[in-house]
Amino acid sequence: AGGSVGSVVRRFLAEYGSGTPSRLKLLDAYLLYVLLTGALQFGYCLGVGTFPFNSFLSGFISAVGSFILGVCLRIQINPQNKGEFQGISPERAFADFLFANTILHLVVINFVG
Amino acid sequence: SAGPRLRLAAALNLLLLLAGAQAPAPSHRLTARDLARLRAALERPFADLQAAFYSIVGLDSLGARVADEKAACNFIKSHVDSSSVDSLFYAAQSIRVLSGCEVTVSNETRELLLAAVSEDSSVTQIFHAVGALNGFGLPLASQEALSALTARLSKEENVLATIQALETASYLSQQADLSGIVEEIEDLVARLDDLGGVYLQFEEGIETTALFVAAAYKLSDHVGTEPAMKEDQIIQLMNAIFSKKNFETLSEAFSVACAAGSLSRNRYHLPVVIVPDGPAAVSHHQPVLKAMTDVMSQPLTQASVKLDYAKSASSKATVLQQTAFALSGDIFELNFMNVKPASGYYDFSISVDGDKRFIANKVELKVKVSTEVGITNVDLSTVDKDQSIAPKTTRVAYPAKAKGSFTADSHQNFALSFQLIDANSGAELIPHQTFVRLHNQKTGQEVVFVAEPDSKNVYKFELDTSERKTEFDSASGTYTLYLIIGDATLENPILWNVADVVIKFPEEDAPSTVQSKNLFVPKPEIQHLFREPEKRPPTVVSNTFTALILSPLLLLLILWIKIGANISNFSFAPSTIVFHLGHAAMLGLMYVYWTQLNMFQTLKYLAILGGVTFLAGNRMLAQKAVKR
Repeated sequence: AGGSVGSVVRRFLAEYGSGTPSRLKLLDAYLLYVLLTGALQFGYCLGVGTFPFNSFLSGFISAVGSFILGVCLRIQINPQNKGEFQGISPERAFADFLFANTILHLVVINFVG
Repeated sequence: SAGPRLRLAAALNLLLLLAGAQAPAPSHRLTARDLARLRAALERPFADLQAAFYSIVGLDSLGARVADEKAACNFIKSHVDSSSVDSLFYAAQSIRVLSGCEVTVSNETRELLLAAVSEDSSVTQIFHAVGALNGFGLPLASQEALSALTARLSKEENVLATIQALETASYLSQQADLSGIVEEIEDLVARLDDLGGVYLQFEEGIETTALFVAAAYKLSDHVGTEPAMKEDQIIQLMNAIFSKKNFETLSEAFSVACAAGSLSRNRYHLPVVIVPDGPAAVSHHQPVLKAMTDVMSQPLTQASVKLDYAKSASSKATVLQQTAFALSGDIFELNFMNVKPASGYYDFSISVDGDKRFIANKVELKVKVSTEVGITNVDLSTVDKDQSIAPKTTRVAYPAKAKGSFTADSHQNFALSFQLIDANSGAELIPHQTFVRLHNQKTGQEVVFVAEPDSKNVYKFELDTSERKTEFDSASGTYTLYLIIGDATLENPILWNVADVVIKFPEEDAPSTVQSKNLFVPKPEIQHLFREPEKRPPTVVSNTFTALILSPLLLLLILWIKIGANISNFSFAPSTIVFHLGHAAMLGLMYVYWTQLNMFQTLKYLAILGGVTFLAGNRMLAQKAVKR
């Protein structure tokens, strides 16, 4: 069982490395970064305490929100999904991504205190 | 004088107590002191002719005379101004009152006065001219005067002018048709303001109201028609006028004096004052209530005063009815104690008859009948709780004190019983206050209990040490026992030291020190607990975490380099530069927002920067798309 999991993971990594355009890989790196940031924040909150709670929420929501927007961008610019997003060019998707992030971080900064 | 009596005085003028069922309660009248004050206000030395007029005619309305009539006459003669209609009016009306005072009137003066009686003069001028002509005894064409007055009055529609018109009409001959003016009385009554159902007055004030009353009765007496005023309106007018006790100006005093005079001497309405002489209370010891006669006017000796009924206030049973009061000198008397009423309060309804002019002649009085209380059958006993020993009873007679002391402790209670009777009639009494007071001689503590009557009206009080230890704070010792009896209808309230009681409380409950329940010492201080600040992690921890949180960023950069982020295609087109600069500025704005700005300012800057960045970005991405 351990072996099959290991071989699946290795297979996945190989496929990923070869089959994914570098643009998407950059995005994936960004998503990983955001994920780690959010997880660290959550771990700190569990370990040390929730004071000040609003700051924790603000930071955590920033991480979660950014992750979600990043995922949306990735879906939209993935060439394999071109059929689904006829009217939305990658540039348009990127512009939407920037706009949504601006609003998200406006609220986050408001809340962080 | 045989027995206790209730004396009442019936006199003229204004009312004190409740009148009949629907009429308002007359609340103000002219007492002797008020009259003296009014007279003093009018008896000032004359400042000018108008002041002389107010004093002379005002005092005459009260039935008094000026101190020195000769001097007054000379004053008038020397101060009259033959060219002024007002001056002539004051002079003429004053000399009418003074006896033996004559002023000769020249022909020019007469012409002046007659000329003033025209439509072109004000109502006041017409009034003064007519009054002057009347006062000097000069002839006057009443019909023309009346038509001039009516014409002028329709132009000057205010209250004072109408009142003056009433006065003027009272000087005109009855041959003229004065009914138009008489109707003005009704109109004026409609303009009175009702204040709380008690007072009725013009908004112009009490002086105007008083002048109206005087003028209305003067005119009504002159034409022989009853004034169109209802009984309760008259009472309310009286309340308003005689509520004024201090007179700032002479004209105010004059107006009140005229009103008082007219209300006591007109042909139609005579308000009646029924006042108990002294406090309205009778008893066996104080038979006579001193009657206070109203000084202003003569007592109504021709009237007959009758008690319609006397009812007990609590039981509403009629004790006496349809009994006449006897006139003794100036005062009407009724011997109420003859019917041997029980002590308490009684409602008396009294009516005054004899003259059909009487108004407000039914009055309700509350009369108190008081008595003396006697305490009988006073038994002090110690009752054993186990019922094993028979109770020891000692009888005490008021006001002696019981010999020896009584003990109340954990196995015996102390009991007290007594009866209260009316000392004069022997009937049982239930007064308002029947208290048993226990006073600790050493500590000064006192505890008061209420003794309650049982079904046979025997008062009982029992002291059980186990039940009552909280009231006593478990302080054992010798207590003096007092009995306190009191009531509004008792003439002899009682405070009687009956006995000494030794009270023993169980030892374990005794307080270490007896605290005096002093309410006025400083209380223990309250320590305010400020809100504790939240527990924070040590700075080391949070700093470490801050460093830690930056590590994913480092990882990101490394990954990006590894994946091969392609920045070689970076074109230095202006839109690209603007876009990147604008975007960086927006990120910087976020930081500034965090540290300094508020939302509104941020939105403002964001709108600008965002707009710029959007346009540039649009261009840049479009170019990118084209390239692709």
